[in-house]
Amino acid sequence: MQVVTDIFTMFGFKLAPFIAQIIIILVVYFILSKYAFGPVMAMLEERRKRIAEGEANLTQIDEKLASAEAKVQEMLDQANKDAERIIGEARESADSFREQKTQAAVAEAQQIVAKAQEATKLEHERVMGELKRDFGRLVIGATSKVSGKILDDGDQKRINDEVAGQVSL
Amino acid sequence: MDFSLSFTSLEAISPLLAAGGLNPDEIPGLGWFTNSLFVAIFVTVAILLFTRMATRRMEMVPGKKQNLVEFVVEFLYGQVEAVVGEKVAPKVFPLLCTIFVFVLICNWSGLLPGVGTAGIAYDEGEMAAPLTIKAEGKMTPILRPPSADLNFTLALAAVFMIVWAWVTIREVGVMGFIDHTFGVKGGVEGLIKWLLVPIFILVGVIELISIASRPVSLSLRLFGNVYAGETLLASMMALGKSLGLTGIWAFISSVLLPLPFYFLEILVGILQATVFSLLCAIFVKLSTTHDEAH
Repeated sequence: MQVVTDIFTMFGFKLAPFIAQIIIILVVYFILSKYAFGPVMAMLEERRKRIAEGEANLTQIDEKLASAEAKVQEMLDQANKDAERIIGEARESADSFREQKTQAAVAEAQQIVAKAQEATKLEHERVMGELKRDFGRLVIGATSKVSGKILDDGDQKRINDEVAGQVSL
Repeated sequence: MDFSLSFTSLEAISPLLAAGGLNPDEIPGLGWFTNSLFVAIFVTVAILLFTRMATRRMEMVPGKKQNLVEFVVEFLYGQVEAVVGEKVAPKVFPLLCTIFVFVLICNWSGLLPGVGTAGIAYDEGEMAAPLTIKAEGKMTPILRPPSADLNFTLALAAVFMIVWAWVTIREVGVMGFIDHTFGVKGGVEGLIKWLLVPIFILVGVIELISIASRPVSLSLRLFGNVYAGETLLASMMALGKSLGLTGIWAFISSVLLPLPFYFLEILVGILQATVFSLLCAIFVKLSTTHDEAH
């Protein structure tokens, strides 16, 4: 122990400066604890918390994004299905409408054809009648010239009826 | 007690010793107030001002000063935690970080111009010059790096040992410490355990001596290294003159010769601050580690 004391004394140990140095060290310890370590550690902890919160939020956002994407995909799928269904229905409706219209057109055409045929028939009959009448007049005229006899109404009627009965067009 | 080198005694080379010799000098008119105390107070004020500037307005996005302080604190906390463990780190970090920062700045304060070199010259006991950097006889430096003063290094070691004892008792308790020091280790049981008891008691006594010598070794190591560095720089400054150079050549040699050693002393300053605080951390780790048997 004496050796240690001697060494310390030889190297300049003195109680008063030693105690003063202890006080200075404690002051530095206090200063650094109060103004450096405390605030800095609190700030680092705060920053760590923020980062952790940020990461947690990021995870939540990722999950929400994935959920939203899934929902969007689901909606798209549903929309596609609806669109396909609507298109199918529209196509069926169009087909049906077209069929209706076609049938209506066909019926109308048939009506037109029937009317035309009827008109043609009537026209044919009228023309035939006229032709018969003209032919009758020709026959009466020819008969009158050949026989030199003026035919009365009764003769003309009989000749016309006979001609009309014999002529078949 | 005679400290002798191979060719001369300590007293014979005393003019080359830095900072006026082994003992810190008292500033004239201020009683026991030494030049190293003056520098220690200056360093304390510098630390106070810088930390106040850096942390007065803490922001989430730090400025340069805040960033530097945060980097230092975070880095040192990581180092302390790696040595002493997650549980003890918050309790000892403020002291260990204080020791590192304070010792580092005190070590580097010796490299400032005038520290250890400018002082009051005495010629045969009479004041020859109130402030000079040239002295043929004894010169009392006005400024002395605190870590080149044993009072400072011993005070550091004493403060650490008090905190070490407090932390150790809180962590393992008095009985735990006694058991940790004198108890039979290795998990042996039965007769062999009782046969090993005397050996481990002896080991415990040696451990106590080791613990008691820690403040001595811590303080003398730091003091010796920093003081040797100061002496080395002073020797290099005076080397040209010792070799017979005069005038401008003596001045140039006093500037150029110590220059490489300034860089060396920057490294030594970091190294000694690291060694001191790392040893402190290891001492805490050794005494607060719970044995596997417990």
